[in-house]
Amino acid sequence: MGFQILLHIGIVIILSPLLLGIIGKTKAFFAGRWGAPLLQPYYDIGKLLRKGNVYSTTTTWIFQAAPIVSLAAVLVSSILIPMGGLKAPFSFWGDIILFAGLYALARFFIIIAALDTGSSFEGMGASREAAFSCLAEIVLFLDFIILALLSKKLILSEMIMRNILSWELFGPVLLLVVASYFLVLLTENARIPIDDPATHLELTMIHEVMVLDHSGWDLAYILYGAAIKLFVLGALLVNILIPFHGLPAIVQFMVFWGGMIILAIGLGIVESCMARLRLNRVPQLLTGAFVLALVGLLIILVKGV
Amino acid sequence: MMDFFLYSLTILSVSGVLIILTTRFRKMSESIFLISLILGCGLGFISAVTILASRTPIDYRLNFRMPIGEFYIGVDPLSAFFLLVITILFFLAGLYGYSYLKDHGKKNLSVHYALYHLALISLMLVVTAQNAVLFLMAWEMVTVTSYFLIVFYDEREVTRKAGYLFLIAAHTGTFCLWVMFLLMARHTGAMNFDQMMLTPFPLPLAGLLFVLGVIGFGVKTGFIPLHIWLPHAHPAAPSHVSAVLSAVMIKMGVYGLMRIIFIIKDFPEWCAVTLLLIGMISGVGGVLYALGQHEIKKLLAYHSIENIGIITLGLGTGLWGQIYHNESVILVGYAGALLHVFNHAVFKGLLFLSAGSVIRSTHTGEIDHLGGLLKHLPWTGCLFLIGSLSICGLPLFNGFVSEWLVFRGLFEGMFQFKMNALIFNSLGIISLALIGGLAAACFAKAFGAIFLGNSRSVDFTHVKENSPIMCVSMFVLGGICLWIGFFPTQMVSFALGAASTISSAQISTTIEEAIIFPLLKVVLVLIILMTIAVVLILFKRIAMKFLPIENAPTWGCGYSLPTRRMQYTASSFAEPILRIFRNVLGFNVEGNKPKGYFPDEAKISSHVLEASEDILFRPIFKFIEFLSVKFKIIQYGYTQLYLLYIFIFLLVLLVWKMI
Repeated sequence: MGFQILLHIGIVIILSPLLLGIIGKTKAFFAGRWGAPLLQPYYDIGKLLRKGNVYSTTTTWIFQAAPIVSLAAVLVSSILIPMGGLKAPFSFWGDIILFAGLYALARFFIIIAALDTGSSFEGMGASREAAFSCLAEIVLFLDFIILALLSKKLILSEMIMRNILSWELFGPVLLLVVASYFLVLLTENARIPIDDPATHLELTMIHEVMVLDHSGWDLAYILYGAAIKLFVLGALLVNILIPFHGLPAIVQFMVFWGGMIILAIGLGIVESCMARLRLNRVPQLLTGAFVLALVGLLIILVKGV
Repeated sequence: MMDFFLYSLTILSVSGVLIILTTRFRKMSESIFLISLILGCGLGFISAVTILASRTPIDYRLNFRMPIGEFYIGVDPLSAFFLLVITILFFLAGLYGYSYLKDHGKKNLSVHYALYHLALISLMLVVTAQNAVLFLMAWEMVTVTSYFLIVFYDEREVTRKAGYLFLIAAHTGTFCLWVMFLLMARHTGAMNFDQMMLTPFPLPLAGLLFVLGVIGFGVKTGFIPLHIWLPHAHPAAPSHVSAVLSAVMIKMGVYGLMRIIFIIKDFPEWCAVTLLLIGMISGVGGVLYALGQHEIKKLLAYHSIENIGIITLGLGTGLWGQIYHNESVILVGYAGALLHVFNHAVFKGLLFLSAGSVIRSTHTGEIDHLGGLLKHLPWTGCLFLIGSLSICGLPLFNGFVSEWLVFRGLFEGMFQFKMNALIFNSLGIISLALIGGLAAACFAKAFGAIFLGNSRSVDFTHVKENSPIMCVSMFVLGGICLWIGFFPTQMVSFALGAASTISSAQISTTIEEAIIFPLLKVVLVLIILMTIAVVLILFKRIAMKFLPIENAPTWGCGYSLPTRRMQYTASSFAEPILRIFRNVLGFNVEGNKPKGYFPDEAKISSHVLEASEDILFRPIFKFIEFLSVKFKIIQYGYTQLYLLYIFIFLLVLLVWKMI
């Protein structure tokens, strides 16, 4: 058990920034550039780990606790999901609620750390994050409801491991779940079209603006946390999409990682061909995601499980 | 062990009288208050724990030899669970209150202390009374004593109004309860609960009784739209009273509903639906209103409504289970509701007490005037944070455990029951998720604006932590939050015992294990979380030895003269969410915008309208006033005339009876 947990967490730690690298490469390709090397996110984090910290005189211990809490919570959430051939080290009845709870915990601390600086810009970002995550959370739970109804289970790893039969029977429902979950994924990870991780205008940012005052190790923890969050939530999506399970471990492994790479490229493509939405459009987008999931639930209601 | 509860009642009542008698000698009456509080609550606590651990009820009977039956009190696990909440909260809040009021001018504190004891006794009686009349008497005593506790600052007009509103609302509720109990007594021919249980109730009657119960108990509990007294009364009372009011007093409505379910057992399906709907509306509505508040205690008061919503969702789930005879859902639903009653009492008590500390130190409860207090009130700040994290239902803290149970009950109900349950349970799950997200936003706002950043008005550098006794009460409550977050087994098993009492469902070991085992896994995951956090801290500590650390002002994004007035305020923090939900809430924005190139003075103020007060109750009360004016014709103020009316009324009754 202990080894499994370490292996799981180890893989997540080692591989998660790679997704950001792939996204970056894809975007560069679409822009007709060579772009930064694939391992650039590792270099970025490594650079931050060699830097000292600057703390605002306004801040308290909350400011320093937040990066640690959020990274730990996001990291621990990874042990609840299976990763291609590797079973989830922890799976138990009702773990989806813990899964959602861990993300809420991480978010809460990042929000109050932003308020801790007393900067009006960071307060603005915190306020937006709080508002949009409320909407994202209900979409997430609606997706969970559908997945739980289809599998009659309340165990995350069994809810997302679909077989080909359930894709045949409930293909439309699952597609709707995937579509709405994809929007949640974009929101939670502050990607285009909800938020632009590369923007430099504080007034329009959500996630980046909350960490304006963090530096050095704190910022490295936060960036690593963001990378892991993308990885874990992405792995969840890939698991739902893979229609077959129980193959030899090596095949599973390849399918899963292939899926992750395709996901990263897909995210890159979305970011390349879309612009960021106006902030007041974001709730409408999330409402759209909610409606998509709701239609899925309606199909189940009509068709029966 | 057996008679500890009776000793506790006796000690409290005798000492209540002694406190009044020793009014002249302040020191003495204070020490009597403290000693009797420790003894009374301690004994009550021990008897509650014993009964919860053994899961066997105890009865005490005393025959009144009167038409209304007997003086019959009994402590079963359900009563004991509430007794636990009452004793813990009253003890800690009493301790805090003693210190809070210590230098409080010329007010006669003895009366306050005696009333505090009386409230404690009457609450203990409410949860243990097994006779309808005794129950209603105790219920009435709770109302009256709460009223007197609320109007402690009766020199303020706001307080008097709030108290008056509470009194009217509570009595409207009690009226429904009288009708309900009389109907039950007429159907069963008995006033004692244990005899009432023996007669089965036909479904339509059960439905009628349910409606009366929901209105009667709902007023006290604060179901939306019956909650209008709650946000007025909580801020008006002194902080320790608000704490017990929110933590204990309003839970009596929940207890009442549970007792009714315990007596009637069979309900039509729409009752469960109604409970779920009430839970959703109160939960989401409560937290949305809370987001729009600018005053800390008012914000907390609305959060009580939200948590009552969560409790009601659990209750509704349990009732679904009862209708479909599914033991697992029954137990998970009721246990979730009960545990949330306990958890809410603990963290809301904690929040009210720490809010009280803030108000006592800074003399203001306006969130937008505060800021940066974590530096000056470090302990209060930490404890408020613990309370906030618990109330948001985040893992590591107690709120998560009970919300986990409610979520689980809703999900399982969805798997097993028919179409209706599927629809309403999924609605319930979504609203619970929404409640969680909104509560997190609201407490990020409250904690952030009060304790973080810089002060938004005057300088608070002189502010110091309050007396140690006040801190001790808060520390114990904070400790309980963490204890249940990490070791949920004990309290969950207590809650299961009480839950099985409500439904008379037997708890088999397999079901109990199926409920508790996943929670232990949750705890394991949380331990891994803590380990990772410790490792991360260590890494950073080691690295920081070699790396430079600097201090500088917050980056103003290029602006060189930032002032503390430029910080984000609590109102602006909540604005995006309130904008999203603007169609459900009413807004009132007043002020004049700056005009022209050289604008003169501009101001803006906004507050969320209280819809049920303005739209529902004001017209009703206006109508009642209109009717009363019409009836003035027969009111002359002569006693003889009223006697004549009574005589005529009797005559009419006689004639009616003869026909």
